[in-house]
Amino acid sequence: MAKYINRRTLLKGFLGGAAVNLGLPMLNMFLNENGNAYADGTRIPTRFGTYFWGLGLTDTPAGGTRWVPQKTGLDYDITPELQAIAALKNKVSVFSGFRAIPDTRPNLVHWSGHASILSGVAPAGSGRFDAATLDTRVADAIGGSTRFKVLDIDASISRRPISYSTRTGSTFASPDQTTLALYQRLFGDGFQDPNSEHWAPDPAIMLRQSVLSAVTDQRQSLLRSVGHEDQIKLEQYFTSLREMENQLAVQLQRPEPRDACVLPASPEEMARAASVDVVNNNTRAMARLLAMGLACDQSRVFNFVHTGGTSETYVAGQSKIYHQITHDEPTDPQLGYQPESSKLAGLVMDGFGAFLEELDAIQEGSGTLLDNCLVFAFSDTGYAKIHSLENIPMMLAGGAGGRHKAGQHIHAPGESVTRVSLTAMQLAGAPVGEFGTGSMRTARAVSEVIA
Amino acid sequence: MIKVARLFVMTTSIGLGLYAALASDVVLANGSADAVGNTSVVVAVRRLTEPQYRRSIADIFGDDIQINGRFEPERRELGLQALGSATLSLTAAGFEQYFNLSHDIARQVLDEPRRAVVMPCQPSALSAFDQACAANFISMVGERLFRRPLSAAEMNARLQTAASGTQHSGDFYTGLQLALSSLLAAPEFLFRIERAEVDPDNGDNLRLDAYSRASRLSFLFWNSAPDAELLASAASGDLLTEQGLQTQITRLSSSPRVQDGIQAFLVDMMQIDGFDSMVKDATIYPKFNQLVADSAEQQMIRTLVDLLVVKERDYREIFTSNDTFLNRPLAAIYQVPFASSEEWAPYTFPDSAERSGIFSQVGFLSLYAHPGTSSPTVRGIKLHEIFLCEHTPEPPADVDFSAVVDSDAATSRERLLDHMSNPGCIVCHQRSDPPGLALEHFDGLGQLRKFENGQLIDVSADLFGNKFVGAQGLGQFLYNDPRASSCLVRNVYAYGAARMPGSAERSYITAQIEQFADNGYRVPALFRQIAQTPEFFKVVIPQGAPDHANTASVQ
Repeated sequence: MAKYINRRTLLKGFLGGAAVNLGLPMLNMFLNENGNAYADGTRIPTRFGTYFWGLGLTDTPAGGTRWVPQKTGLDYDITPELQAIAALKNKVSVFSGFRAIPDTRPNLVHWSGHASILSGVAPAGSGRFDAATLDTRVADAIGGSTRFKVLDIDASISRRPISYSTRTGSTFASPDQTTLALYQRLFGDGFQDPNSEHWAPDPAIMLRQSVLSAVTDQRQSLLRSVGHEDQIKLEQYFTSLREMENQLAVQLQRPEPRDACVLPASPEEMARAASVDVVNNNTRAMARLLAMGLACDQSRVFNFVHTGGTSETYVAGQSKIYHQITHDEPTDPQLGYQPESSKLAGLVMDGFGAFLEELDAIQEGSGTLLDNCLVFAFSDTGYAKIHSLENIPMMLAGGAGGRHKAGQHIHAPGESVTRVSLTAMQLAGAPVGEFGTGSMRTARAVSEVIA
Repeated sequence: MIKVARLFVMTTSIGLGLYAALASDVVLANGSADAVGNTSVVVAVRRLTEPQYRRSIADIFGDDIQINGRFEPERRELGLQALGSATLSLTAAGFEQYFNLSHDIARQVLDEPRRAVVMPCQPSALSAFDQACAANFISMVGERLFRRPLSAAEMNARLQTAASGTQHSGDFYTGLQLALSSLLAAPEFLFRIERAEVDPDNGDNLRLDAYSRASRLSFLFWNSAPDAELLASAASGDLLTEQGLQTQITRLSSSPRVQDGIQAFLVDMMQIDGFDSMVKDATIYPKFNQLVADSAEQQMIRTLVDLLVVKERDYREIFTSNDTFLNRPLAAIYQVPFASSEEWAPYTFPDSAERSGIFSQVGFLSLYAHPGTSSPTVRGIKLHEIFLCEHTPEPPADVDFSAVVDSDAATSRERLLDHMSNPGCIVCHQRSDPPGLALEHFDGLGQLRKFENGQLIDVSADLFGNKFVGAQGLGQFLYNDPRASSCLVRNVYAYGAARMPGSAERSYITAQIEQFADNGYRVPALFRQIAQTPEFFKVVIPQGAPDHANTASVQ
């Protein structure tokens, strides 16, 4: 849908509606003509995704850190726990010092931090968010014209599927958890090769559309008799149904050719183990499929979970899991930090490095797929040992089609994490001028990283 | 693009013409007025669980229908998925799965040779739309799937789908498959939508309508959609009478299928799930594999069903009975010989095995442990939550764990004792840890051990002055704890009514607990007892629901 919106309709839409609080970056974004384009002049779409890893990065009791660079601005120094992004640091902005501010709400351990980043609200209770997550707002803005509005992926091999994406606050997305499941979703039934010369609409799809219209016909009569909470649930159901309708409609349109799209081979099923080496391998394999899915324009928005908030990953053969180590391990008096925790943090970041490498490996236009993505990476906590909501590590990776002035370190102690969330949404192309509630309410994006 | 557009136009015009032609016939064919009358109010919307979905499809269309799809994760509230299901909706990926399933199932249902079994009529021709026959089929399966008769509008929408599908494909059954698909993808099937209506005997008050009552009973006793007889009892109003209700409860509870219903409850309450994705470190637990995990799950279910449903024994014996079932993979973990030629064989643990009831089985012990170690705290929290309905609050955020030392140097007990000296930790850990410490003779996989890191493990525990030793001491403690039966009664009510009993129901619950004890703590009797009470069908009007009084007066 986004490609049909021009500046005029956009302005009309915003001024006519309530959302007049439109920051300059938004306008710049739509005026910017410097983005990459395909050989035939078609503009390459910007993709947006979140990347989550559990247990933050390591700070020290004395106020030091194993991850925050000394230098701010461009060409920041690579700290021990940022080693994994060294090769791509010019494409990654690092945000330090930001915090989640729950006001009168409790610090729900391994929950309040990313809930604040994603929904702008510190929730009242664990297991729920009190507002929709930002990826859904970005997806509503830029995800409408592809087969999948959002792809949800969980590489963690945990006991339960992990997703932090929600529209209702209680129903979270059900992610693909294996390479095979992700492959089938992207390239199995329903995949249409955008570069195929022999394309014709499948009449069976039209028949399937009629199945859905019979359901939507009953929407009004059902919603008329329900209470508030049930209405939210049923509205979510109908939103999901509309996404299916959209998926079918997209399949009836001849896809635009995509130079970078090459149908990958079906992957082998991965080993089921939650040790960090396996999770990182899984992350790389799933990132590779995701990257090709984006290059083939099957989706423009994704959520990727490396490990959950109370991460159960561990070093193979060790009896303790990472989560337990962050709490139990004493600070080494000589080193001044928790050596095992810090080592694991580095290993977990290797997963992120691998993830970015895969996005950067695909050539697209005059750059790479990563240059046309904006990946918002963050964790649930700052210093995990004490469940800190201060200094939660966040990063923005990728060029966002030229809109992200990447490769900077922004240090803003005490500032709300929602400023980075707002920045991410705006860079991704979502019409959002303000985000968050209470002390986390903000209309100030981090302008330094916006081109 | 042009081709597509033209087809769409065609669909619409056919659809509209048909709608006009069929409207009056359909109401007649359906025989009843709008089943979802405008005076009714939706009082609960619960997403069908995976077992309920599977059971319903099997009951309605045959248990050989293949259901290959991934279901959305469930959610637990106050310990029950039955309560969590009332907070859940469907995500886009979830709907996509159900949508694909709907096609897959509809195709199997109407393929040869099943077609002959499920169709109540023969179409006049295979290549043309037969409106009467289609309406007949849709009305029949629609009532089973929606658990109430279809409204005229719901019916018409499906007839349109069937008619246009037949038109485009030139095949009656292809059109009918699409209509069936659309019933299977509808919220009225995927959610249990309970409605209340004005009670004619009680002024302006609302009561749960007969079809919603039928569903509550059917899902409680069979974990499936109501059968034709139960729906007929709802349709005639018989179910609203005391006599009619009693007849149905007797019928449902004396059917062998009650085992499915009670099993589903026990699996929900005892949280017997998550075995599909259990992970253990292969170096530390080389005996672990998926077969062991699946077997452990089966063992828990078989033990509970045999004890509580088949033998109808005292509920409290789940904490003390050592009667169970073993298969070959489990025998290896328990380190006992397996001589049977059957896949599963009954087995009773000897005293020396140190086991005592359900919580000392490999399933519970391995589920509530880490990939490489046991976890007394997690086990203790889960014992309190599952069997005593006592939930542990989230840990405080700013605890200093520096005192907690590395486990290589000591046993879990010593590590946890440090929690006990910390005032921020003690509030919860003095409650959660003792039962878990009593289970420390079982490692992270549930295997018997006496030593940890070379040190003898002490399994004595002190829970607020109650002293016990090992799993057997813990079992006896739980057997005697009145909170255990009270927890079960509250859970059965909440499971069926999708609502934890509140303070208004205190005396009701107390009376139910007493009756449960009088009946010898037998679970099937408890199910019947609760289903007979008016409180089981009590209606709580949700916030923001339309004002029924106003709506009623408009009618």
